[in-house]
Amino acid sequence: MARFNFRPYLFIAPALIYLGIWIFYPIINALVLSFFDSPTGRSRDYFWVGIGNYSKLFQDDLFLKSLYHNILWVLLSIAIPVVLGLLLAVLLAGRGRSRLMYASIYFIPQTVAAVCAAIVWRWIYDPSIGPLNWLLETIGLSGRPWLADESIVLIAVNMIGSWSYYGFCVLIFMAGLQNISPELYDAAKIDGAGALQRFVYVTIPLLRNAIIFVLVYTIIGSMKFFDLIFVATNGGPNEASTVVGLRIYWHSMREGRFNYAATMSTILTIVILVLSVVVIRQIVTEDEDD
Amino acid sequence: MTIKSRAKKKRSYHSSRMLQSAIVHVILLLFVFIALFPIYLMFNAALKTSAELFQSFLSLPKNPQWQNFSFILNEQGYKGALYNSLILSTSTMIITTVISVLAGYGFAVYRFVGKQWLFLLVLTGLMVSETSVLIPVYQLLQDIGLLNTYAGMILPQAALGLTFGVFLMTTFFKDIPRALIDAAVVDGGSDLQVLRHVIMPLARPAIMSLALIEFMWAWNSFFFPLVIATKQWLMPMSVRIIDFMGRFTFRYDMIAATTVILFTPILVLYLITQRSFHRGITFGALKD
Repeated sequence: MARFNFRPYLFIAPALIYLGIWIFYPIINALVLSFFDSPTGRSRDYFWVGIGNYSKLFQDDLFLKSLYHNILWVLLSIAIPVVLGLLLAVLLAGRGRSRLMYASIYFIPQTVAAVCAAIVWRWIYDPSIGPLNWLLETIGLSGRPWLADESIVLIAVNMIGSWSYYGFCVLIFMAGLQNISPELYDAAKIDGAGALQRFVYVTIPLLRNAIIFVLVYTIIGSMKFFDLIFVATNGGPNEASTVVGLRIYWHSMREGRFNYAATMSTILTIVILVLSVVVIRQIVTEDEDD
Repeated sequence: MTIKSRAKKKRSYHSSRMLQSAIVHVILLLFVFIALFPIYLMFNAALKTSAELFQSFLSLPKNPQWQNFSFILNEQGYKGALYNSLILSTSTMIITTVISVLAGYGFAVYRFVGKQWLFLLVLTGLMVSETSVLIPVYQLLQDIGLLNTYAGMILPQAALGLTFGVFLMTTFFKDIPRALIDAAVVDGGSDLQVLRHVIMPLARPAIMSLALIEFMWAWNSFFFPLVIATKQWLMPMSVRIIDFMGRFTFRYDMIAATTVILFTPILVLYLITQRSFHRGITFGALKD
């Protein structure tokens, strides 16, 4: 091109400026705030504390616990809704039009606001009048106070998240499976591959893009979620289900310790970035191998 | 092998196939049940009386309490909250869709210096959460006097969906045959004419998808409104429900009615436009 063309920049400028104001500037600002502190609550007479907030943070058991819960949430979300979504998508693959109907229904929970999902599931889990314990007792098992038991509360809340998420995974994997040509399966069949072998050696590699997408999406979503846990348990009992989002909300909006909360935000951003890059790098290197 | 044993083998093959397909059906239907049961519970609870609910969540209401909804909307002043939700989601939808279409056009149609980097920069926005930017956004709103205003609630919310929008529009616009755009340019079409008369008509379904998804996200959003709209007159539905729960902890019937009021518009929208939703959700995942 002979002449510098400014027009494309004109088109992308609104997006960049908008993201700059509400996303990029705040990210940098949170980083800056994390190196300062203020004498009282919400005042802005900041003074430099260097990495003071960070060293405090890594001695803050509650923060470490919440970060651990977020990581656990990532693993649970991969183990349950993602795997389930993949299996259901494979089961649906052979079906004609009914496939779309199933997928549409599975997706409905994803349209329910996290706030509503949390409220309804609190009833399902209710130890005295909830349907879940009723069901368990009817078939001879004993019920539990799901959301009040420190040892299982995180898994119980994760089930709510899984409920709203598996339909999303089905949809992505189903669309991914459509791109796989049936001849590949026929070829594998002729070579004597069983159903499991076909799944491992044909389906999984060809779904790679969809799998990577879902993994990254799951990691990001699991690190930043807030609404569900805020309404379902508010981190309780005894902080057994607290997550970083809740800590940030608590320290900033309740206690007014903005700098400390901003330090947590910064750590959260870094963790999300690192985890995502690790997964994305995985594809990039594999691509180079090809 | 005799004909008889061959037939027998065929029959057993058949019956094992049927058993397999029956198991698959049971599994698929089980997850239909799991998806719908909590939603049944939500609607069911909203139509029962509080006393009935404490007896059983599962049974159908004896006399459907339709007045639960009108009670909430009128006496509890939820009409205002519903109106706030509508303003929040419509404005967010418009802002993100317009900016995303423009940026998508820039990224998809032009080649320019720094394009890859700028696109990557936009994409990093996907990794940013409300909780990561809460404090600076809150302080910024405070400084420009937008806490507890519609603008203060809408502007940062729209930023959260913008990255997805730019990404979706760019990938969609890239699929539009280059020849169509070039032809329009040769005919002397300006950028805005190309966008309006070539891109927009072809990408209408994609733009629809984006608008619907953005609307749903903003409608269901909770965190920013919770922090930014602390005055009752400004709270959208999602936040008012929590406010309501705090004051009427054991009025499960009323709480259920509020969840139904929040959920129903999105459910109806989804049922009407499923394909559009699905297209928008799956497209990003499959275009490498």
